[in-house]
Amino acid sequence: MPLVAAFACPHTPQLLVRPETEDRDMVLRVHAAYGEVKGLLQAARPDVICVVAGDHVEGFFLTSVPALAVYVGSTVSGKFDRYRYTFDVHEPLARAVLEQGIERGFDLTYSQDLALDYAFFVPLHFTMPEPRLPIVPLYVNVYLPPQPTPARCYAWGQALRGILDARPERVALMASGGLSHFPGTDQYGSPDYDWDRQMLDRLVAGRGAGTAALTGEELDKAGNVEFRTWITLLGAVGPARARVICYEPSWHHGNATVTWPLA
Amino acid sequence: MSLHYTFPPASGYPLNRCLYQLKSDDAFRERYLKDPEATLREAGLDPERIAALRALDRDRLLALGAHAYLVFMASLRLKMATAPQTFERF
Repeated sequence: MPLVAAFACPHTPQLLVRPETEDRDMVLRVHAAYGEVKGLLQAARPDVICVVAGDHVEGFFLTSVPALAVYVGSTVSGKFDRYRYTFDVHEPLARAVLEQGIERGFDLTYSQDLALDYAFFVPLHFTMPEPRLPIVPLYVNVYLPPQPTPARCYAWGQALRGILDARPERVALMASGGLSHFPGTDQYGSPDYDWDRQMLDRLVAGRGAGTAALTGEELDKAGNVEFRTWITLLGAVGPARARVICYEPSWHHGNATVTWPLA
Repeated sequence: MSLHYTFPPASGYPLNRCLYQLKSDDAFRERYLKDPEATLREAGLDPERIAALRALDRDRLLALGAHAYLVFMASLRLKMATAPQTFERF
């Protein structure tokens, strides 16, 4: 089956657990955008959601740092603050992605036991349809250099699309991350919103393929190390034009929610 | 301009491990909040690193090899643990 839906969503934990410093109206506007994604997901009737996200040194500590990984357990769980999550994993699809990804030349790491990062469950907290769907967690290293290059992420997305298209499941693909933010650095209060807006314009024009030519250094300078998850998705959706559901810059984060209508 | 997120040097590993545990290990965080000095000493940190971590002195921690994101989230999780009423949960 071809992909039935594709989205990119933010996952900043301030959207789930709001500190006093976070503008409440802005948070609610992003929640409304999540609500629109949930409706689109429901309408697309997927069998499974493949989520491409970067681990925030949660499932993978410095004991092992895979560039690209697939979770292939039967369920996966994670926690943050008072929140506890467990998701069913679509094991046959996860295993197909792993095995065929290796066959296609991507030396994927896999795990059957790790703590799910909030990059996966914050968007799912707000967008998971009823009844709940199984997921396939797909990892791209974004925070621990050396990260995979944008070209590699794009190529992995292309391969992923080839694998998914040959499967019987109806698949929704979700990239989690971004846009510009600099947690833990002296640039935290100064995200590069111009970079974000120019990039969103390119994606709306269907020019996502150009992101394969970005450099890791450029992503780091723009506060967009997490954009690697979007680039992976762009490899999968090809020339499809994006529709921006929301772009809500906070004082520290460019919250972007985007859909790629694929019909 | 140097990069914001850099390779974590091996010399920073014990410090990064403590930041990771403050971020993700609820039992470790609780123990730290009860007795920070002893918890970090038992985790193998020297006095210089213990002082930097207890002060959450970002510049000092980064100079000692800490990863910027870990400093950020360890700090946030400590705040969420010590002042939970200042957060709104959705």
